[in-house]
Amino acid sequence: MKILAIDTATSASSVALGDGDQLAAMSVRVDRRGHGSFLVPAVDFCFQSAGWRPPDIDVIAVDIGPGLFTGIRAGISTAQAIAAAVGAPMVAVSSLTALAVRAATGRRRIWPVVDIRRGQYATRPFRPVPGGVAPDGAAEIVSAEGLHNLLDSDAEDTLMVGDVEGLPAKTLRGLHQVKRGRPRYPSADVLLEIASFHAARGQYVRPEDVRPLYMREPDARINWTDFREEGMWPGAAE
Amino acid sequence: MTGPLILGIETSCDETGVAVVAGNEILSTVLASQIDAHARFGGVVPEVAARAHVEAIRPMVHLALRQAGVHSDQLDAVAATQGPGLVGALMVGYSFGKALAWTLGAPFIGVDHMEGHLFAPRLEHGDFEPPAVVLLASGGHSQIVHVRGWGEYEILGATIDDAAGEAFDKIARFMGLGFPGGPAIDKAAEGGDASIVRFPRALRDRPYDFSFSGLKTSVVTYLEKAKASQSVPPLPDVAAAVQEAIVDVLVDKTFNAVAQTGVESVAGGGGVLANRRLRERMAEEANRRGVSLHLPSPALCTDNGAMIAAAGEFRLERGDVTPWVTDVSSSLRLGS
Ligand SMILES: [Zn+2]
Repeated sequence: MKILAIDTATSASSVALGDGDQLAAMSVRVDRRGHGSFLVPAVDFCFQSAGWRPPDIDVIAVDIGPGLFTGIRAGISTAQAIAAAVGAPMVAVSSLTALAVRAATGRRRIWPVVDIRRGQYATRPFRPVPGGVAPDGAAEIVSAEGLHNLLDSDAEDTLMVGDVEGLPAKTLRGLHQVKRGRPRYPSADVLLEIASFHAARGQYVRPEDVRPLYMREPDARINWTDFREEGMWPGAAE
Repeated sequence: MTGPLILGIETSCDETGVAVVAGNEILSTVLASQIDAHARFGGVVPEVAARAHVEAIRPMVHLALRQAGVHSDQLDAVAATQGPGLVGALMVGYSFGKALAWTLGAPFIGVDHMEGHLFAPRLEHGDFEPPAVVLLASGGHSQIVHVRGWGEYEILGATIDDAAGEAFDKIARFMGLGFPGGPAIDKAAEGGDASIVRFPRALRDRPYDFSFSGLKTSVVTYLEKAKASQSVPPLPDVAAAVQEAIVDVLVDKTFNAVAQTGVESVAGGGGVLANRRLRERMAEEANRRGVSLHLPSPALCTDNGAMIAAAGEFRLERGDVTPWVTDVSSSLRLGS
């Protein structure tokens, strides 16, 4: 089962090739911009290192967010184009799940956090289960203060992973039951593990259903000054 | 079929356009328009546009290939708009196009959107050849280009503030006519008498440059005064007067450039060139001066994938294949 995995949902971009969950090649770059210039060269590099060709691919996995909108769209567009050309099925993975899966080593409840900019963070609690993690609540968008309150209301010992270093200092103040952990970013090698699990069970997503997980409405601002809304000739638009 | 088989992808603004072109022949051209998504804001919202492109790109590419009866392995190259435009929107088509080309082992061509507009006339008018003067006017751009030869462009003039299409949008919005403003004003102006008021024509002292922000202000002032004195003229008359003011400036400056450069061929591109009054005036003026006019049909004036494929073919033949490491560029400038 040969898998191509693409993750450009956060500041860390990565592409990986794996035979099942066995890593065959990987390329990583940390930069919050430039997902577009990274992707195809990284894919090309991985295929050359592994000595594979595009038609060898059985499954394509992609991180659909939440995270950086432009990066998520670049990743999905790239994955969909390759999938369309080789006819491979797809697996869509949330960045929060990817973070939680990599962090699932102990018993603590896991709170992955992804910075989606403008002072907002995506998070969702997961609990470790044999062989992985299971969601233990809804995914939410919160401010740093909201994140503090969420964690404060969780009586259990928790492990916080993701972009913890990027949080305002006061976010974790006084939260003694919270331990900080790794990874900081989701990455393509974790997607390989998740995709090989789903592929083994035939759990694919139809390519048309691979859509970004934004978790935030678009900002509907126009670049020009608004005139009055009122028209001179009522009903003229119809 | 003549010439290489090229898939063209355009996602610089609010249309997801995909086409398959062979030589100057359009085998298929499909478009997912986002007009409805932006209408309630009265303009294109960048994040809304990018979101719509990522939903539309896969089905549009699929549809274009199917309508052309072409399998993706048959493509000789994939071309996609690299810029100028909205970064988030460009990123979707550029990423898809580049990844598709890489997977197929085909060359990839990143196309300058404006150069795409310059190639659109050739898809329908096989005899359109430089040297020529081309008026490019849309919601995002307004410029007069001297096409000395294919690949050799000089921008003679451009708007110093609003683009022509943007002026139509803003004024239409103020008049309560909806979005996009160009077609709305075109429709509202039907049967109107443009002579009821003469709105100012700006920048008379500069031969090729445009300015439309003053027009907008004077329309607002005019209508507010009319309203205060309870003598608002009929809508068709005002719409016709607005349209005439914009069209006048575009036609004047374009033909200034024709006279100065001595070219015998004129063309146009961009959504504003779909305006009926502008087309009529361009035709009259070209006729009067004895130069040939090559206006694409309205569907090829507005943004589309076929023009990107056509410009891509030119670049492919010149060996201008775009490296994988490139990214989109919002500020790409023709001829530089
Ligand atoms: Zn355009």
